[in-house]
Amino acid sequence: MLIFGERINGMFTDIGDALRNKDPKPLQYWAVKQQEGGAHYLDVNSGPAIPTEERVAAYEWMVNVIQEVSDLPLVLDSTNYNAIEAGLKVCKRPAIINSCPAEQVKIERVFPMAIQYNAGVIGLTMDKKGIPKDAENRVAFAMELVAAADEYGLRMEDLFIDPLILPVNVAQEHAPEVLESLRQVKMLANPAPRTVLGLSNVSQKSPDRNLINRTYLAMAIASGLDAAIMDANDDDLVDVAATAQILLNKSIYADSYLKVFRSR
Amino acid sequence: MALTGLEIYKQLPKKNCGECGVPTCLAFAMALASGKAALDTCPYVTAAAREALDSAAAPPIKAIKFGNGSVIGDENVLFRHDKTFYHPTTLIIRLSDTLSDEEVGVKLQEINGLEFDRVGLHYSIDGVAVVHESGDAARYAKVAGLVAAGTDKSLLLLSSDPIALKAALVPVASRKPLIGEATADNYEAMVNLAKENSVPIIIKAEGLEALDDLVVKAQALDYKEFVLDPGSRTAVQTLENLTHLRRLSIKKKFRPFGYPVIAYTSNSEPLDEIMEASVYVAKYASVVVLNTSVKSHILPLMTIRQNLYTDPQKPIQVEPILHSVGDVNEDSPLYITTNFSLTYYSVEGEVETSKIPSYILPIDTDGTSVLTAYAAGKFEPEKIAEAMNACGIADKVKHRNVIIPGYVAVISGKLSEVSGWKVVVGPRESSGIVSFSKSIS
Repeated sequence: MLIFGERINGMFTDIGDALRNKDPKPLQYWAVKQQEGGAHYLDVNSGPAIPTEERVAAYEWMVNVIQEVSDLPLVLDSTNYNAIEAGLKVCKRPAIINSCPAEQVKIERVFPMAIQYNAGVIGLTMDKKGIPKDAENRVAFAMELVAAADEYGLRMEDLFIDPLILPVNVAQEHAPEVLESLRQVKMLANPAPRTVLGLSNVSQKSPDRNLINRTYLAMAIASGLDAAIMDANDDDLVDVAATAQILLNKSIYADSYLKVFRSR
Repeated sequence: MALTGLEIYKQLPKKNCGECGVPTCLAFAMALASGKAALDTCPYVTAAAREALDSAAAPPIKAIKFGNGSVIGDENVLFRHDKTFYHPTTLIIRLSDTLSDEEVGVKLQEINGLEFDRVGLHYSIDGVAVVHESGDAARYAKVAGLVAAGTDKSLLLLSSDPIALKAALVPVASRKPLIGEATADNYEAMVNLAKENSVPIIIKAEGLEALDDLVVKAQALDYKEFVLDPGSRTAVQTLENLTHLRRLSIKKKFRPFGYPVIAYTSNSEPLDEIMEASVYVAKYASVVVLNTSVKSHILPLMTIRQNLYTDPQKPIQVEPILHSVGDVNEDSPLYITTNFSLTYYSVEGEVETSKIPSYILPIDTDGTSVLTAYAAGKFEPEKIAEAMNACGIADKVKHRNVIIPGYVAVISGKLSEVSGWKVVVGPRESSGIVSFSKSIS
């Protein structure tokens, strides 16, 4: 189970301000703090804080200042592929591109770029028309991404299928469909592509967000989830990830397994 | 093993014509993978694609049977802890046709004598490889006949000359020997010989690429009872080849390598040879051909084989009969434990260390430990008393004291009542047996 720390995102006020003021400190603070929490990757997203024309430079700057304090690999999160490419150029370790929907035009832009920079790709099970409601159509989009990976020579382990979880308060019927999609995606290829979720989305605008997040995380891991973009500093949530790892026999049990999980 | 959507998709024509009732080939592949459609509805799949899809659904390594009950191949894991290894390596002793008739007799006697009884198990060697080294076809046939008459073990006939091999094979074909070797030079004659006689054949080439090539050619002769030999004769190279062959067949479903593999030892020093053979047994060889036939060399190899091929999910058990440690006499104490091997050998080791000759009676608890058995109702006083009666311990000792594990002290009263023996509660851990034994003697 890989944790992609979600906190370096321009949607948060402190990060948004830091981006506008070119102040590296909040980014570096969260890089270190998320690493301590148990993050294996750091998601990096400028959000709308930076005007479109400045995003390319912003991604290069963000990657550089984060790499000054953390050696974690990065997940470059943007819909602006030029910005992602600028970031990839300065990444010291193989990064992950977040994200590419199942649209031919975008696949043609993203997959060759992933190969060129030895990066992974998060593939979204949607196209221009939006997010499908049922598992069957999610899996059909996943299959297109799998076929694209095969065509471009991207290793299946480097393709992370994201079946797109939506907030449970307004799109409740999606939650079980996403679990079913996670199960079926594992049957698409051998070796199977990996899976990822933007976990915190499930609890948008609900009370007891942490409880919803960690309950869904456990259910999703049991259904085949390999990675989650999530709050790496929610200790209860990270404990769930560590415990699920043990209960699925993916890590060898030790009494100190919670500590071991965070120390890797 | 079900096919993945991607594997199916790659075999489809990618026309997206919709004639199958599904708009795209990709969606059709998905429908096939989930069992919602049949391949027949696509009018454009080629015979080759159909064949590829059929064979991809077959087990990763074909089971090959030969000789006297030898079954090889049919494995599906790389590590035994993932599931288990199913078919123990077939061990075969090499016998050259350059030996005289008398020497053949002596060697056969030695090979037939390779039978062992150890810790309740019986091991025996599986077969004899008759190797054509004389260059004389008539001599080879004669020796093969002598071997067939002298043993009922599985036979392996090795010759690169199809004519000599045929002469040796035909009279013993009913024994279904494994034959070899088909090489790039002779494979047509060899494979056809195997096919005519319905016996499996070794396909030998130098290196994996050449082997892939040769297997594909040999398969085209419409025969698939193969055993592979990647040609290597050093331990390092063989280990590498064995690993690649097993990985490719299981992980990548690479069909040309979906057959069992044979390995030959190369060390002439017997102790080195057994080390080498142990590596091959541990690392996926289905057949190992050995030179040595000395009992003291073969026993450790057979023990390793037996050990590696046990099912890790099933607890290993000892025989639930009365065991004795040391030179027991009528005063020897009697210990009760369970037949789980870990439990039993922990007790046995400590009893041995105590230097007091003793009896140990493991109760048949289906190989579970003391507390597991007790909790499952498999370590009841009545059952223990029954086992004590059945083993005849009462006639072997003059005392009437029985020692039980400290963790089940609670059964002492009832056991004493049903057995009529005085029940002594031993230490909770077997590590306490040494000091405990001093207190009772």
